[in-house]
Amino acid sequence: MSAALEVTGLGVRYRRTWALRDCSLSVPAGRVAALVGPNGAGKTTLMHTAVGLLRATEGSVRVAGEAAFVAQDKPLYDDFTVAEMLTFGLRTNRRWDGEAAAARLAGLGIPLKRKVGGLSGGQQAQVAVTLALASRPDLLVLDEPLANLDPLARHDVMRTIMAETAGRELTVLLSSHVVSDLEETCDWLIVLNGGRMQVSGDIEELLDDHLVLTGPVGASEAGMRVVSAGRTDRQVGLLVRGAPSPDPRWQARRPGLEELVMGYLRNPESTAMPALTGVRP
Amino acid sequence: MIWVTWRQHRAQILVTAAFLALLGMLLLGSAVEASRYVAEHAPPGCPGPAVACGEVAVALGQRYDTVYSVFGWMPLVAPALIGAFWGAPLLGREYERGTHRLAWTQAVPVWRWLAVKLTVLGGAVVAGGLLLSLMVSLWRPVFRSGVGSAFGNVGVFNMVGVAPAAWWLYAFALGTAAGTLFRRTLPAMALVVAGVAATMFTLVQVSDHYAEPARTQLSGTVVLDDPDVRLVSSAWVEPSGREVGEPSESGCARRVDVGQSSKNTDAWQACLFGKGYRFAVYYHPASRFWLFQWTEAGILTVAAAALGGLAVHRTLRRPG
Repeated sequence: MSAALEVTGLGVRYRRTWALRDCSLSVPAGRVAALVGPNGAGKTTLMHTAVGLLRATEGSVRVAGEAAFVAQDKPLYDDFTVAEMLTFGLRTNRRWDGEAAAARLAGLGIPLKRKVGGLSGGQQAQVAVTLALASRPDLLVLDEPLANLDPLARHDVMRTIMAETAGRELTVLLSSHVVSDLEETCDWLIVLNGGRMQVSGDIEELLDDHLVLTGPVGASEAGMRVVSAGRTDRQVGLLVRGAPSPDPRWQARRPGLEELVMGYLRNPESTAMPALTGVRP
Repeated sequence: MIWVTWRQHRAQILVTAAFLALLGMLLLGSAVEASRYVAEHAPPGCPGPAVACGEVAVALGQRYDTVYSVFGWMPLVAPALIGAFWGAPLLGREYERGTHRLAWTQAVPVWRWLAVKLTVLGGAVVAGGLLLSLMVSLWRPVFRSGVGSAFGNVGVFNMVGVAPAAWWLYAFALGTAAGTLFRRTLPAMALVVAGVAATMFTLVQVSDHYAEPARTQLSGTVVLDDPDVRLVSSAWVEPSGREVGEPSESGCARRVDVGQSSKNTDAWQACLFGKGYRFAVYYHPASRFWLFQWTEAGILTVAAAALGGLAVHRTLRRPG
């Protein structure tokens, strides 16, 4: 399967500080990729570079086909009506599916004659996502699409995106610093921390590949690839990659997505990257 | 893209057009009324230099001054407004609201987005400036046939010819560039107002050097008979032919005048002329109107192009 987004040795520098360094990743077509990391990790920089808002200082970003972008805070022209926003999209894009967009907004109960500034936050998010989808992109990039939305609106926005990925081959890259938002919808994970890549891979494979171990202090850690460790006076909790040690005092279980992400973020030295050619089907 | 430009900037376009239309009606009404007055009251041969025409000339002058006071502020304020409301928001508002991330991630490339906006809005600004110039140029002769002031008066000079178009274009480019510098509308507007005022002050100072001043020697008076000139400097010429700023050993006593009176100065000047002194005046005659118009327009257009280039460069270099 081909890559929808391929990032090779990417570095982006603002004046003297590097926002991103040595980033390489590849997202296969048709995936819904979650880009997670703490604030300031470089998520927005990576996305802006992917959609052409920033220039790479070194390395390259390649998008197969057309990309559409919904920036943080879902910028729209407040004094435009919803219908005028659709005309804006029509006039600034080669591919445009205005009928589907109008039908989707009608289905969501968003009046076309209303000014964008008069819509609720959830409705504005829906308009922004609908505009991005109407240009029939191959890659949809969403920067914190769920921030500042109430739980119901979060659910509705995700449903709009997921409905589109079901209908045709669309690759989605969406960022969040709340991992629980992504658990049900994403099948690819990218972890960024301090401007560097820590993890990039299929979520199921990553979860299969890792174990959470708990045991008493003194249990043998020999031969294990420890991602990170948490210790109390009597107990040790480990996130390990690959096979556990044979010490029978360890209790092992499969990690949750949040545990996996937190394990890596706690220890920025650890990485789980496939070989660059390793875009697995 | 033209629709997008119109939709985003129609408020400025419509307000400016309405303002020009209103001004046009005012000028037209005033010109029609003045023509009627002349037709009904003026003796044959008036308006003209004849003494009998004095009453008509005074009446026309009053009408002219009344209307002129309505829009006499325009040479300075109109470019400032154009820069603040057409130029500053063009990029400043997009950055401020974050909508540049929407506009510049559509299929239309950033350079084309910018090219269409600069061309359409810049063209409209130039057209507006030329329209203002045309209206003022048609209106003035109704009142001022034979009595020019389009060259000598810097205010009027900047409302006729190509000057308004050049000024408006310059202010528009200044506002656009300021928008990319501050990435906010309000500071960009403030910079435009300060920048237009500073530029006007500078150009008024510099304009003396657009050409080598003409020199003429007066005897018996210190006032040129043509009122429509720009004075650069003046000096006294001793009987020996030497120019001096203040005649010191002329033997004429100069007493300080009190209040509005210029009696003592007049007496002193008459004394100097009596002793063979002459008065040299360096000035630009009104025949240099178009030379000055095109020189000023050239300076402003080059500056506008440089500022526009700066805005384009800053926008394309790092659009995010």
